[in-house]
Amino acid sequence: MKRNSLVLGIVALIVLIAFPLVITNPYYIHLAETILIYAILLFGLDIVVGYTGEVSLGHAGLFGIGSYTAGALFFKLGVPFVFAVPASIAVTAAFGALLALPALRVTGPYLAMVTLAFGTIIQILINEMTFLTEGPLGIKVPKPSFFGHKLSEVEYFYVVAALMVIALIVVNRLLKSHFGRAFQALRASPVACDCMGVSVYRYKVFAFVFSAGLAGLAGSLYTYSEEYISPNTYNFELTILFLLAVIMGGRKTRSGPILGAAIVVMLPSLLSDIELFRKIAYAAAAIGIVASIWLLAKKRKTIREVAIPLVATIAMAVFSYKLENIIDWRLTIFGLMTLFVVYYLQDGVIGFLRNMLEKMWPTGFRKVDEYRALANESLAWEKSGHSASSSADLLHANQVLMQFGGLKALNQVDLKIAKGTIHGLIGPNGSGKSTMMNVLTGIYKPTAGAVEFNGGVISGLTPSAIALGGIARTFQNVQLFGEMTATENVLVGLHHTFKSNVLDVMLSTKRYRTEEHHARIRAASILQFVGLADLANEEARNLPYGKQRLLEIGRALGLSPNLLLLDEPAAGLTAPDIKELVAIIRKIREHGITLILIEHHMDVVMSICDTVTVLDFGQKIAEGKPAAVQSNPKVIEAYLGGDAGSAESPSSTPAPAPFPA
Amino acid sequence: MDIFLQLTFSGIALGMIYAVIAFGYQLTFATSGTLNFGQGEALMLGALVGLSLAGGVMGGPYLNYWLMIPLVMLFGALQGVVVERIGVRPSIKTKNEFGWIMSTIALAIIFKNVAENIWGKDDLTFPSPVPAAPFQIFGANVQIMQVIVVLGALAMMLAVEMFNRKSIYGKAVVATANDSDAAGLMGINTGQVVTFSYALSSATAAFAGVLVAPLTLTGATMGTALGLKAFAVAIIGGLTSGVGAIVGGLILGIAETLTGYYISTGYKEVPGLLLLLLVLAIKPSGLFGKTTIKKV
Repeated sequence: MKRNSLVLGIVALIVLIAFPLVITNPYYIHLAETILIYAILLFGLDIVVGYTGEVSLGHAGLFGIGSYTAGALFFKLGVPFVFAVPASIAVTAAFGALLALPALRVTGPYLAMVTLAFGTIIQILINEMTFLTEGPLGIKVPKPSFFGHKLSEVEYFYVVAALMVIALIVVNRLLKSHFGRAFQALRASPVACDCMGVSVYRYKVFAFVFSAGLAGLAGSLYTYSEEYISPNTYNFELTILFLLAVIMGGRKTRSGPILGAAIVVMLPSLLSDIELFRKIAYAAAAIGIVASIWLLAKKRKTIREVAIPLVATIAMAVFSYKLENIIDWRLTIFGLMTLFVVYYLQDGVIGFLRNMLEKMWPTGFRKVDEYRALANESLAWEKSGHSASSSADLLHANQVLMQFGGLKALNQVDLKIAKGTIHGLIGPNGSGKSTMMNVLTGIYKPTAGAVEFNGGVISGLTPSAIALGGIARTFQNVQLFGEMTATENVLVGLHHTFKSNVLDVMLSTKRYRTEEHHARIRAASILQFVGLADLANEEARNLPYGKQRLLEIGRALGLSPNLLLLDEPAAGLTAPDIKELVAIIRKIREHGITLILIEHHMDVVMSICDTVTVLDFGQKIAEGKPAAVQSNPKVIEAYLGGDAGSAESPSSTPAPAPFPA
Repeated sequence: MDIFLQLTFSGIALGMIYAVIAFGYQLTFATSGTLNFGQGEALMLGALVGLSLAGGVMGGPYLNYWLMIPLVMLFGALQGVVVERIGVRPSIKTKNEFGWIMSTIALAIIFKNVAENIWGKDDLTFPSPVPAAPFQIFGANVQIMQVIVVLGALAMMLAVEMFNRKSIYGKAVVATANDSDAAGLMGINTGQVVTFSYALSSATAAFAGVLVAPLTLTGATMGTALGLKAFAVAIIGGLTSGVGAIVGGLILGIAETLTGYYISTGYKEVPGLLLLLLVLAIKPSGLFGKTTIKKV
């Protein structure tokens, strides 16, 4: 695989270098230049859309900021290319940070509207701030000059091509590193991401800033490429075009944006030729009919399923025959293409091709897990960097009160967790167990009271800070990063082991490569420990439920915690799975990790816990050794209701133990 | 002072239009958690269809203004059903948020482009159904149409509210809004309720279109900015609060007419968009919305 992509890369590079030598028509060179510029922007847009999963309708605005920074710097101050381009990147990146502020509070449709508003404001400002931008008149900028030599179209093409290749390599490295994994993780489950010590806040801002920086680079290159910029370029239509390009090409790939850029740049020229468009429409209709008949004959699809695309393609062919002026209908065609891509080509052209190839040639795509051979269970454990304090209690929750409106979910609960123990936390549904977990991990800030951990107060810290301080957790309803593989999930847990910064990753320094290598060995070791070595390259969402729970434990172990909180780890597990789980929990304790266990399977709780605390209606009603708690009348009452202790006590028959020991 | 008062009155009329569109966003958001990014285009289509029926652009007028309104609302409802069926339903099924955002945007572009091709790119004047001569309140000029806009908008919102509270169908809508799964288990066809909410939402927008058209110009491009600013209103007021929509609409409408007069007409869109950014950055649930506690 690696060699194949290297060969492919070299071929692509040769094509890029040879292009202006073979095709000398300046119109086509300019067109290719525009494709490269769009590709740079789309790499950035893909970070936001493909990786962090947000819809940005503001990238035309960012593109405009980049263009106008370079344009205005040249026009007003005569700043040369070599300074104007970095300035554009910096200014646009700053606006990206601004755009990230609402992105921290809201997601999905809200964020889409925010970015749309942002893009609209930028267009208005470009139009109105005539003292900087010359307003609707636009700015003329000549091609850049170096040492008195003004670059020709072909020379400038090479400048753009070189920058595109650099952008490609840098973005590729970044997205394959722990940064890329953080982006994907914060999309899949922000809460779990924070609880793995990966600050959602930080990485979301980073994603927007980086994405905006690329838009700035693209924008400034565009200014010099067009030699004239005016506000109307950076409109809503362009934003939609960018989004269409990313999803049509294929998200989360580098080839997708390049292909997408080529499609959207060439499309207007293709559409201007109505004869060609008719031919394409006829061909599409023919393919549609043949494919539908084939699918129906093979009984792969029902008539209902093929009806819509079939009717659409035929209607398109009829429409194209009737059509006289296609330019006027350009936006309708973009809209139809977007609908088509959203419903029938979700992974884009590249994703579609890859799926096809994978089906035809499954072995070629099976990744060799080279780290499996290096894995060793003993490597899974790394002494936690957090020096343990001398006191016997690792964690002390002091009079914790958690109030939601009038409801006291936790009412002045004291909890002491002794070092090296397995501490059970039980209670009927709604008794406040999970609330306790959320308070301990910083997801909720307690209304009153404090939590001390390892000699310091942690209540009030952010979840990611608490996670990095040595508390890891799993979730009652599994919160894995679904589209990432098992290995990648654990690698997110190991995020804290990376000291490399962005520059290390971009330049692929030795420090970064060593860290990645070590992290991968450790991830493989952890997977071996939880028994998932065979499923290392499987996407988390495809794992069976029981395995998902184990993977969550593995991911949490990546944090090298002092304290591990397990929230109903046995829920939904089969009997053999539970046995495996109990063995794993015991082993974790043997490695010096303290555990808190919330569980409804009483046999599990009773057999492995050293101490058990019982909550009921937010209050602690009992605490002690499992056996003692089990026979505590208050506990029995909480579980079985009624006045179990007193009503039947005269007959001196002991209350039946509710839990099979 | 007179000018200030006059601007305030225009702002109120404009604000009520925003409120009605924002109300439309709330309707679909409540039942399905989705929004039509083409709400502004629904308004634009309503206005243009209304103009074709009651104005001279298509060989008319065929009907007078008041008789045209029910037909336009019917058209709006059908358009809403189309949006829901093509753009939203497939994505709700697959729980694909990206899908419905993109497809309602795509449909919006298509509607706008089709309108451009049918009615042309230039703005058209919509004949006013009432005398254009203004009357005076405290020395400020007020057009009769502005009063009609305010009353019409209020009547529309009240009608929907009464429908939801009093009729059994309305109760189905409210039940679906509260808990779609539970409503489904109680035998309510939640899919139909969602379709209905889209029909109602687009009909509301189309109604807003014919209300606002006599005060402004009508054209294919009129919808986009209105839709965006109405979303700002929906957010400022909170997506769950009808009163919020009215208050948000008034704040924005007045802010906008004042900005347009005292600063520059070029900047008149800016305060709404800035307000949107600020509210989302500071209190995403809006001024009247409830904050929800995240559960893990």
